[in-house]
Amino acid sequence: MTLFSLAKKNIIGNFKNYLLYFISMIFSVVIYYTFVSLQYSPEVQNAIESSDSILNIFIAGSAVLILFVSIFIFYSNSFFTKKRKKEVGLYSLLGLKKKTIGRMLFYENIFMGGIAVLIGIIVGTILSKLFTMMVLKLLDAPVEVSFGLSVEAIINTLIVFLIISLVTSFQAYRLIYRFKLIELFRAEKEGEKVPKQSFIAAIASIIFIGFSYWLGFEPPTENLQVLTNLVLFLISIVAGTYLLFRFLTVYILRRIQNRKSSYYKGTNLVGISQLIYRINGNARTLTIIALLSAVTVSAISVGYSFYYTNEKQAEKAAPFSYMHISASDSTDREIEDVIQSDTEHAVIGQIDIPVIIASGEVTSPILQDYLENGPIKIVSEHTYHEALEILGKECNIQLTDKQTLGIQPLLTEYTSDNYKGHTVTVQLPNKELDLTFHSMAEDRIIPWSYPDFTIVVSDQLFSEIAAHVNPVTIKAYEVADEKTTKDTASQLQSLASEEMHLTTYYDVYREGLESGGLNLFILGFLGLVFLAATGSIIYFKQITEAHEDRGRYEILRKIGVSRKEVNAIIRKQMIFVFGLPLIIGVVHGLVILQIASNIFSVLIGTDLTVPIVVTTLVYFIIYLGYYFLTLTTVKNTVNN
Amino acid sequence: MNIVVDAKNVKKVYGTKGNVFTALDHIDVKVYEGEFVGVMGPSGAGKSTLLNILATIDQPTSGDIYIDGTNIVNMNEEQLAAFRRDKLGFIFQDYNLLDTLTVKENIILPLALAKVSVNELEERVNKVAKTFGIHQILTKYPYQISGGQKQRTAAARAIITKPSLLLADEPTGALDSKSATDLLESLKDLSEADRATILLVTHDAFAASYCDRVIFIKDGKLFTELVKGKRTRKEFFQKVLDVLSALGGGLSDTI
Repeated sequence: MTLFSLAKKNIIGNFKNYLLYFISMIFSVVIYYTFVSLQYSPEVQNAIESSDSILNIFIAGSAVLILFVSIFIFYSNSFFTKKRKKEVGLYSLLGLKKKTIGRMLFYENIFMGGIAVLIGIIVGTILSKLFTMMVLKLLDAPVEVSFGLSVEAIINTLIVFLIISLVTSFQAYRLIYRFKLIELFRAEKEGEKVPKQSFIAAIASIIFIGFSYWLGFEPPTENLQVLTNLVLFLISIVAGTYLLFRFLTVYILRRIQNRKSSYYKGTNLVGISQLIYRINGNARTLTIIALLSAVTVSAISVGYSFYYTNEKQAEKAAPFSYMHISASDSTDREIEDVIQSDTEHAVIGQIDIPVIIASGEVTSPILQDYLENGPIKIVSEHTYHEALEILGKECNIQLTDKQTLGIQPLLTEYTSDNYKGHTVTVQLPNKELDLTFHSMAEDRIIPWSYPDFTIVVSDQLFSEIAAHVNPVTIKAYEVADEKTTKDTASQLQSLASEEMHLTTYYDVYREGLESGGLNLFILGFLGLVFLAATGSIIYFKQITEAHEDRGRYEILRKIGVSRKEVNAIIRKQMIFVFGLPLIIGVVHGLVILQIASNIFSVLIGTDLTVPIVVTTLVYFIIYLGYYFLTLTTVKNTVNN
Repeated sequence: MNIVVDAKNVKKVYGTKGNVFTALDHIDVKVYEGEFVGVMGPSGAGKSTLLNILATIDQPTSGDIYIDGTNIVNMNEEQLAAFRRDKLGFIFQDYNLLDTLTVKENIILPLALAKVSVNELEERVNKVAKTFGIHQILTKYPYQISGGQKQRTAAARAIITKPSLLLADEPTGALDSKSATDLLESLKDLSEADRATILLVTHDAFAASYCDRVIFIKDGKLFTELVKGKRTRKEFFQKVLDVLSALGGGLSDTI
């Protein structure tokens, strides 16, 4: 019998033990291959008009995946080798040379890796077609996908997994050299000892988590601070979560134990003591699960928010369907002709917006900080009202000659309170003009440029200022069904010169949709992978524990605990093991979202309730599925 | 005197047609209240089968078993669990303690399951701990104590519910002679002072010599019965050895 055939026999004979490791490998290959083949698929490439940034997103996504997949494979590999220590010890006891055993393990690993990659690629091919359709749907492109193997994707996947397999196989080879024979035999008996409790560590976990939350809710004042805060946040939230699962839970469970009247009632005695007993071995897993859940929920929420708020953001950034700075009469007319000739998108309204650009200062420190030395854009009250009317909105504020109305700059969350009572000083060639802010309006009417500081003044004052400074005219058109104006928009882009600053709603909307849709897809994809991994980790851990616990439940049954009560004990422990990391994870996730909304300017000032609720709910439902699957399997394991 | 165990015509057959093995063949056993009864026999005689059936862990093929006046043969799983909890106490060779619980928690487990009040629970645990001399190790975990202490803990757990019947399956099998003697003395005390009814399965003649009466089984059938009567323990021990040598097998254990 050759060594290779022994290795093969091992795999087939012990298939159950190998299955977990094998499945995690296949799973890893499937997700990686699916993701990479998406990147190379012509449909996705074509649908993306701004190819460069998309490619970067994909590269970043696959980097995260490689990291994740290797951690996942190493985790299941170490889990798997732990189970096999005894077998390896037996070979050694029977007189096989260490080198021979090492080589056998190496072959086994490589053999499984090869099969896993093969199966993974086949499954991945089918899945990638499904996912391509999803991406195209999100990008609002026609859904027609050809079926094909992507050679680049296969090569890419092969290289990545060849490296991972070689490393894990080498680890397997080293197993026999890393441990003494006696240690190999004792491996399965390495029972967990009852954990020590530490009040200080329990308090520290609350302090760490509290500190990280505080960092999350404290908006950073400088750019440099963002980075240091982020690092501090990560360290304290990870440390805090680990300490929480390792010590705070023990502390709380011990407190419950001290309340004899409830602890000594029914099955609580067994359930709670088992939970404490398991904490040592579970703390790390529960920490990983809570953190993965947090990342998943927050990442998908952010992705979904980008996508979800795109329409509103586009409407804010490009209030009219087409806008440009007036150039020569002939060019203006040419543009108007193009717009008028598009009969599918009838013109709802047209307006010329005269804008005076002046410099100035504001007495409100926040606004001055935003404005710095940038220009102030001034429009007249009459124009503002008229423009809003075309857009189907209204504003009932009447201004006196000494008053002005601020318009909320894009990507900020300033409110009327930031404006009210403050003064803006407008610099004119021969004098200064002091105006008091009446309040702030949210609806913008001119294209975006930084700083986006626009104020509205009374008609009389406007013409007074216009006598000193010549206004620029912005021509604005609003058309019906502006989301589908692709052809007209591109025609106009070719007509307009750089100085005309042509802004079309379609381009803004489309750009947001593309990056938003793709962000959503990639974050959603990664989220799904994390979720699947999270679920599998708990599942396998619980099944292993169930095998160890069988003896304990048998004792209980012998002393008269009914099947129903045994099931109740199992259920209570499961709810703890699944529920606690979920709750902690979701709360962490919400804090991470808070930080994200401080960093991503697009998310500032948008209501994220819907995306967060939807994401959390979906996450919860899938997680619940894992709970029931695990519960059923554990019950069956224990009761048979 | 009340009859605690009344097994009538119990038969247990393993296997399917063509390949049957009769483990118990029409056995009748009666145990009276306060009696300390031993069951002996060579390996494979059916001792453990009998114990498992009386313990309601296994079902007989035919026959009736009354424990404390209740027929246990036709009970369902729920009823059996409740019955085991209320009426029976167990001591096993391999202790069967939960390693996640302290000694005290292991002992009170049956009472906690029966939802007995904390005060009564503390009172009873102190009493049984004193009986078995384990009150100093109550806060320890099973992995921190010796085999003898483990077995005494298991015995304490078995009797804390004041069961109608205490079943012991080779309780001294894994103990050194000092620990074994201590345990047997405690059980003897229990039967004399508290009138506990005990059924002890063993193939150790020394352990059997502590009983009031010893039943011998061979090949699934009742072989003979020895009553201690007025004999001293030493004389009874000799008697048991005599029967064992007539029975064949199991002798090697006694030296």
